[in-house]
Amino acid sequence: MTMQFKIYKEPELRDPYMVTGLPGVGYVAKLSVDYLIKELKAELFEELYSFSFPPYVLIKKDGTVELLKNEFYYWKDIKSKNDLIIFAGNTQAISPEGQYEISNEVLNRAEKFKVRKLFATAAYVTGRYLEKPRVYGAATEPELVEELKKYDVLPMDAGSISGTNGLLFGLAKLRRIQSVCLLSETPGYMTPSGRVLADVKAAQALLEVLSKMLDIKIDMKPLEQEAKMAEDFVQKMEELERRWVEEMRKSVSPPPKDIYL
Amino acid sequence: MSWIKYIEKPVVKEPIAIVGSPGLRSVGKIVVDYLIEELKPRLVAELYSKHFPILYQTSPSYVSHPDYPGQAGTLLKGRQVELPKVEFHLLTNPELLITKGYHANFNGQYEVAHKILDFYQEFGVKRMIVIAGYGREGKDVCCAATDLELIKELKKYDIDIGYEGPFYGFSGLVFGLGMLREIKGICLFGKTQPSLEDPEYPDPKAAKAVLETLSRMLNLTIDLSKLEKES
Repeated sequence: MTMQFKIYKEPELRDPYMVTGLPGVGYVAKLSVDYLIKELKAELFEELYSFSFPPYVLIKKDGTVELLKNEFYYWKDIKSKNDLIIFAGNTQAISPEGQYEISNEVLNRAEKFKVRKLFATAAYVTGRYLEKPRVYGAATEPELVEELKKYDVLPMDAGSISGTNGLLFGLAKLRRIQSVCLLSETPGYMTPSGRVLADVKAAQALLEVLSKMLDIKIDMKPLEQEAKMAEDFVQKMEELERRWVEEMRKSVSPPPKDIYL
Repeated sequence: MSWIKYIEKPVVKEPIAIVGSPGLRSVGKIVVDYLIEELKPRLVAELYSKHFPILYQTSPSYVSHPDYPGQAGTLLKGRQVELPKVEFHLLTNPELLITKGYHANFNGQYEVAHKILDFYQEFGVKRMIVIAGYGREGKDVCCAATDLELIKELKKYDIDIGYEGPFYGFSGLVFGLGMLREIKGICLFGKTQPSLEDPEYPDPKAAKAVLETLSRMLNLTIDLSKLEKES
């Protein structure tokens, strides 16, 4: 046993699409799917625990403990032709073996529920600041790549998509599950202490495309506000870092000339 | 692979497990070692695992990584030949299953924690108290628990929450994964100063504060004078 499952419900779904996104660079994928879950009020139906997750638990603000886990949600709507399965989580497996194991479990469910199309979300690391992040895309079939252009998605010709977010997309092709991977541009910033900043703006760009492709309406206002706040925060951080560098420069400036050592 | 070596199979009702391992400033380890030394419980079982290194490639030992499995080997303690292990000591009045933990490498952390919980279920454990250190500003002892009811209960003993963040390694996983088995748990964190050069450098003062709280909660009479000398 290297994985455990906790099943809450066995939903019956109509031609579902599947959206996947786990924490990665800039938390772009996680932010996107978490927002989708919140706005659609999607329902949790299964949890997955793996021995390949980082070996710790989280103590929350209220003093209770949370396990690292991956989760499956579903959403049904009479107005929509296709129901939705969302794969999310607060972590991802950190070994390749674990990433394969979990991706296969996710795709087993995709097959069980006869998923029509899988949308994997991920980050496209640019290493520089962007006024408006663009969204890149890749797909398992040439027709799907063509379709991406309709949504102003830039085709990604070459490169790699690492981690579970990328692997799911590749393994879907092996299983002949139609799949699209959407990658939103992110600088991949880190604070001086090595903390990764959550890139809400990148998530917003990705969700704008994804919601159109899924033909669902979600209220983007709260996310826009969050993105604005995050941007102000990044600017403040940059200002602080600039001042810090300035201070450093001062503190290593040569001593005044009238001091002899 | 991890396995249990049974030394005896005693009849027990519903012992409370006490868990500690060599984590931050060794607070958990000192408390468990001291309880074993002072209360003289019986060693009833041991857990061995092929994932227990004697030399870790990570510091602190509980922060594990798949690329750094460490080195296996044998330990010599007072001319006694030993393998790295987890020890289970049973006290009968009150019924306590004192667990002296050991950190597995990345490949064994979850496996070992589940094996410990299997053993607890075999012994009828429904509650556990986990001891560890925390390196933040706050009270000498703070707590966490598997549910809010327990946190409320702890307020009766004047213990409040005060730590937010990850809880790594053996004790963290046994504590958290207990939830999947409906084993309720509380954690007592003793305040300590993290040491960068030697994260597991013992802090007997922090351990003493936790032992005082624990004795109060469990009505134990423990002579803390030996720890006082060390702190």
